[in-house]
Amino acid sequence: MPSTRRLAIAGAALVLGAALAACGGTTAHVGGGSAAKGKPIKGGTVTVAQLSGASPNDIFPLQPATNANGYNYDFVIGAWPNLVVVGDGTKSVVNTKESLYSSMTWSQNDSVVTIGLKPWNWSDGQPITARDFTFVYNLLKANYNDWLEYFPGLFPADVTKVTTVNTHTIQMTLNHSYNPDFYVDDVLCYLPLLPQHVMDRTSLTGKVGNYDETTAGSKAVWSFLQKQGQQESTFTTSPLWKVVDGPWRISTFQTDGYYSWTPNSAYSGPDKPLLSKVNFTPFTTDAAEMDTLRSGSSLTIGYLPLNDLKQIPALQSEGYAAANVPTPGVAEIVPNLYNPVNGPILRQLYIRQAFEYLIDRPLIVSKVYAGYADPGNGAVPVNYGQEWDSPLEKAGGPYPYTPSKAIALLKAHGWKVVPGGVDTCQSAGTGPSNCGAGISAGEKLNFQLIYSSGSDTFDEQNADIQSTEAQAGIKMTLKPEPFNTINATTGYCNAKSHPASTCAWQLQDYGYNPYSLDPNGSGLWNTDASGNYGGYASPKMDSLINATEYGSSPTAFFAYEDYAAQQLPVLWIPDESGIYIYKKSLAGAFPTSPFDATLNPEVWYFTKSAK
Amino acid sequence: MSGYIVRRLGQSVVVVIGVMLLTFLLLHMEPGNVARAILGNGVRVSQLRLDMFDSLYGLNKPLWVQFGLYIQQLLHGNLGVSYQSLQPVSTIIAQRLPRDAVLVGLSTVLALVIGVPTGIYQALRHNRPMDDVLAGTWFTLYAAPDFMEALLLIALLCVQFHVFPPAFPGGVTSIGGLFANWQALVLPVAVLSINSVAGFSQYARSTAIQTLAEDYIRVARAKGLPERLVVTRHVLRNSLLPVVTILGLSLPDIVAGALIAEAIFNFPGMGLLFWQSALAHDYPVMLGGTLIIGIATVVGNFAADIAYSVLDPRIRYGSA
Repeated sequence: MPSTRRLAIAGAALVLGAALAACGGTTAHVGGGSAAKGKPIKGGTVTVAQLSGASPNDIFPLQPATNANGYNYDFVIGAWPNLVVVGDGTKSVVNTKESLYSSMTWSQNDSVVTIGLKPWNWSDGQPITARDFTFVYNLLKANYNDWLEYFPGLFPADVTKVTTVNTHTIQMTLNHSYNPDFYVDDVLCYLPLLPQHVMDRTSLTGKVGNYDETTAGSKAVWSFLQKQGQQESTFTTSPLWKVVDGPWRISTFQTDGYYSWTPNSAYSGPDKPLLSKVNFTPFTTDAAEMDTLRSGSSLTIGYLPLNDLKQIPALQSEGYAAANVPTPGVAEIVPNLYNPVNGPILRQLYIRQAFEYLIDRPLIVSKVYAGYADPGNGAVPVNYGQEWDSPLEKAGGPYPYTPSKAIALLKAHGWKVVPGGVDTCQSAGTGPSNCGAGISAGEKLNFQLIYSSGSDTFDEQNADIQSTEAQAGIKMTLKPEPFNTINATTGYCNAKSHPASTCAWQLQDYGYNPYSLDPNGSGLWNTDASGNYGGYASPKMDSLINATEYGSSPTAFFAYEDYAAQQLPVLWIPDESGIYIYKKSLAGAFPTSPFDATLNPEVWYFTKSAK
Repeated sequence: MSGYIVRRLGQSVVVVIGVMLLTFLLLHMEPGNVARAILGNGVRVSQLRLDMFDSLYGLNKPLWVQFGLYIQQLLHGNLGVSYQSLQPVSTIIAQRLPRDAVLVGLSTVLALVIGVPTGIYQALRHNRPMDDVLAGTWFTLYAAPDFMEALLLIALLCVQFHVFPPAFPGGVTSIGGLFANWQALVLPVAVLSINSVAGFSQYARSTAIQTLAEDYIRVARAKGLPERLVVTRHVLRNSLLPVVTILGLSLPDIVAGALIAEAIFNFPGMGLLFWQSALAHDYPVMLGGTLIIGIATVVGNFAADIAYSVLDPRIRYGSA
């Protein structure tokens, strides 16, 4: 999934400061982007700046589990779109117009789904059929542990039978009932269709067959395609990658990560590209990209680190406009509930509540992020899409900044509160007015926060949190470290396993967790989930998450959302937006999909006023 | 001489093996989990997936076995595969090294062309105002951080006056492509040259001052040899000795790249490769790169020693 790429959006600022940061200027307000005025013209080349470090390394759309390069998703998505395309304008909904399916019918208590495919064609003129679906299914069924997008227990492990109803219809029987919205939004949206008549082979010289119909054959085809997918020198020449069903084909690839898309002239979908070419050009740093934008370059779309908002007027004078793109995820500080020193303290809900009451999120949004951030009211970002926001979240979440409430909570549980100092437990024990289980008298509220280094905004945010926590005597020591170092050294800790060697971390802020279209927290807050690093566990949370996945109650999502917001499996913090810069003569590029901010140049065009 | 060369070659092999072993141990002493560093913290990153990664790259084997396997693949000319890019390390280095050779090589040549004549000119005007002005200028530029010089040049020549592009265009990977985009090479070459000019000129100056005081220079002048020939035949040749040492030692710089210039001018080379690999715990790239740099260091030193004896007939190796 594009998780790495998304992380990179937030991490765009993790590089050298821009050369022109000191040049001054007035910060302008940035909206979501607007259509250019003028008559559309056919043709033209768009050049898009890629974030620092962005370089795809695999063209086969079903990436192996050991390759987490999220840029590959952006690289191939124009050529092989997913069965379910999500995001429609600014709405967090399925885009039925661009999706490859024509119908999705659920039956037998939502355990059987019948999928009708649109009568579209591959670029070589062959029809897209049910066989292409079963080809992908067979490959994944035999190799799902080696598939990057595989989520334990879900597709294809949960499929008991796939039946081809007719040329364009498949029926899948699942091993239990699902919430159809969840399954479409969070499972089928990761599934591309691939041309069986081209890819079902075990060598380049061998014939195409039905190898995928046996497990051994599927494994051989998978192995072959994985190896071929990593041959950078043949990305644009191999016959394997010539046949596409998306609006674009990959026409150029260079080893520095530069690549181009040109239109698939045989594209069956509704949005035929008007542009003649789209180039994606990598930059080593944000500074290099900013300098290029400022120097009258040929870049059509770039990005702007939040530190450089003051450059907007200068960029506008160079013919650019700016668009604010909310990041589709949730930012958090993860408390390690099984840290050997203060895990017992962090396991107390009232302690986490005191922490949250002391985070001045509105101030961070306005001062650190200049207004371009989600406020972080709870488990679902309110800038992501109003469809998913409960009234509690919309109202600011359960723990608005209130230092007095934090102090009262701590005092009520037997802590001696020393504003500006360090609080001490005075009343050990497990009663309602005691500090809590595992906390001895004399223990202090003294924590270390590890966070991603290299970003001014992260530095400022966490310094602000450190300062406001100190108002109630919670001492936080800040330790910035490179993102990969945090990944490598902060282990996964829970009640069952919390070795001292990898669970010495106390609080960590590594950025944000990306969401699928249905942001239900599965894999993040349920007990022992692979993304649940701090070890939060609650049977009620598990059942609420399960209700969003398997149930059909319309109120299940808000019930989960509000409980997660209140329980604080992590501390909610603001999530910074991305700011894109684009030529005013380009129309259709913004707003992007709220699901993953994917660029979809098939709907872009230059306007005549540009000439 | 031949005995000296053989002895130095033997020492060089030992040094390179020592560098490899040390690097291997230091990298593996780094705290943290490599698989986790590469695969990240996503909701799909299960323990099974981490184990698959370790198994794929042999990270689940004992350290001494991993080292043995690494040596074995080295002996077959295989530097391994990058955890991040999935490409063979040798391919990645082969893509990046020529770029840096052009960038750092051009800047070194430019620095030599400017630095050595300037140093000799200063020596000829020793303790005169022009000597002080030039020395002051070079030291000022030498003291200024290269990133600051780069940013100032970009602000002035790229943003303000649009004379040069501030960044190298993406997608240019061939050497021919580099020269076809020569405008984008001007600033990084200039920035890298500035610091080197100061070094070359001051070494050449001090040696030339000593040379000018030698008896054979006085004899040459007394015999009526034109000053131009005194300088070019006698002073220049002797002034090159310390420069040759610097040149030899700068060979690893070409291999190691120029991180700051690469980052600022969008010129992905060896420096950025090492930096990004170090951040990502990409051991094969770090090991392969260190090996190449180690070899370049040994070769550079060795070449400097040989060049010494060619430039100064008084220097002979192996006779002692």
